[in-house]
Amino acid sequence: MSNEQKQYLKKLKNTKIKILFWQILLIIIFIFLWELLVNIGVISSFIFSSPSRIFKTIIELINNNNFFIHIFITLKEVLIAFILGISLGFLIAIILYQFKLFARIIDPYLTMLNSLPKVALGPLIIIVCGANSKSIILMALLINLIVSIITIYNGFLTTPSYQLKLFKSLNASKLQILTHLVIPNSYQTIIASFKLCVAQTLVGVIMGEFLVSKQGIGYLIVYGKQVFNLNYVMTGIILLALISYLLYKLIVILEKKLLKHI
Amino acid sequence: MNNLIKIQELTKNYHTKEGEINALFNINLDIEKGKIISLVGPSGCGKSTLLSLISGLDEDYSGCILKDKIKTAYMLQNDALLPWLTIYENATLGLKLQKNITKERLEYVDYLLKLYNLQEFKDNYPKSLSGGMKQRVALIRTLAINPDLLLLDEPFSALDQQTRLLISDDVYKILRKEGKSAILVTHNIEEAITFSDQVIVLSKRPATIKNIIDIKFKNNDSIFTRRRDNQYEEYFDLIWKDLDMNE
Repeated sequence: MSNEQKQYLKKLKNTKIKILFWQILLIIIFIFLWELLVNIGVISSFIFSSPSRIFKTIIELINNNNFFIHIFITLKEVLIAFILGISLGFLIAIILYQFKLFARIIDPYLTMLNSLPKVALGPLIIIVCGANSKSIILMALLINLIVSIITIYNGFLTTPSYQLKLFKSLNASKLQILTHLVIPNSYQTIIASFKLCVAQTLVGVIMGEFLVSKQGIGYLIVYGKQVFNLNYVMTGIILLALISYLLYKLIVILEKKLLKHI
Repeated sequence: MNNLIKIQELTKNYHTKEGEINALFNINLDIEKGKIISLVGPSGCGKSTLLSLISGLDEDYSGCILKDKIKTAYMLQNDALLPWLTIYENATLGLKLQKNITKERLEYVDYLLKLYNLQEFKDNYPKSLSGGMKQRVALIRTLAINPDLLLLDEPFSALDQQTRLLISDDVYKILRKEGKSAILVTHNIEEAITFSDQVIVLSKRPATIKNIIDIKFKNNDSIFTRRRDNQYEEYFDLIWKDLDMNE
């Protein structure tokens, strides 16, 4: 390896370290300022809580054996709704792709469902499914499913015409075109739809937990509001921020593994 | 000579919302086995349409296309390699889709990969290859399924001039060596003359056959030896005149 190459690689690494350094510094400054402004009374500790109060709340929740249950319940609901959303979305997108006329027929209804605020269906869902986690999962599924269908289906439609022509000239069957061309060609869009879907699922689950729940992070937030202990609310928000970041990161790792060559 | 394909009174009309387009009108053409034929004509005159009718991709026409059970294979302007498959997987794609992976065919693919110095890139992905190398892989994919007739739809026109000559010479030599029949659609008069046994000049839309010119050279070793033949200029002028009259 030449010296120039070594220097170039070193420079790349340095930039990476620099970015990480600033990211960590930024969060430290944020936490420090938050604590400071609360302590000197510039912002209200009652409304905005403070890092130390959130820390204490977490310790208290751990001691009551509630902390991990809240996280576990929310994560479980998110995962079930997410997996249901992407697999159903994938299946329905395939059906739409195979039956283009059907896709055109139901297009306005999909658009309508996509823009309908699904939370409006909340009361109906609770009456049908009961006040349990089934309602929460269904709520999240309604929110993430339409987005999954539309993004994956649009991904299928981007298959280049010259590749379709090649496959047809090789006498490929409809199933072969789907499995060897259309689906692999949409890997990137499918992963992108995972990212959208995970965000939408979190929205749905928290909304569901606001409406019906006895446990979960959404419950923690609602409970905090009811007893006027905003430490719970802020703790819930911080936990949600961390969870959504981690889930997103997991998908990015998956993306890197799957899309190595593209 | 036995005919591979016999085309009689072939007419093709397209229908769009804006109206009807007459693409081909009353085409009569015999394609002999082992011959390479070039189709030239003004752009948009229906050359590619004729090719897809012959291939059977488009079955909506009037007239008659008589062919035995022959296997055709396309080579397009775009190499159409799949980026998620390795070079080897791309080269054998046709065999896989046609469920025809035999030892003999795979050995042939290996032979071609070696012939074009692609053996060492076998497990690489298309993005690491140059445009010319990719088009060679597309050629191997086309030949792998052992077609009776190759349909070459401007396969060299996206390449730079030097690569274009090299690749078209590769294709020319392998077609000659294996005695394959081929139809080449091209805009390039030079390519049409140096590549084929017969140049068919089409008129502008609706395309009819303007002229059929048999090309005969003394030395047919490569497109370069053909290019150097004294007759070359004569053929060029002939085709140019036919094209020019359509303006």
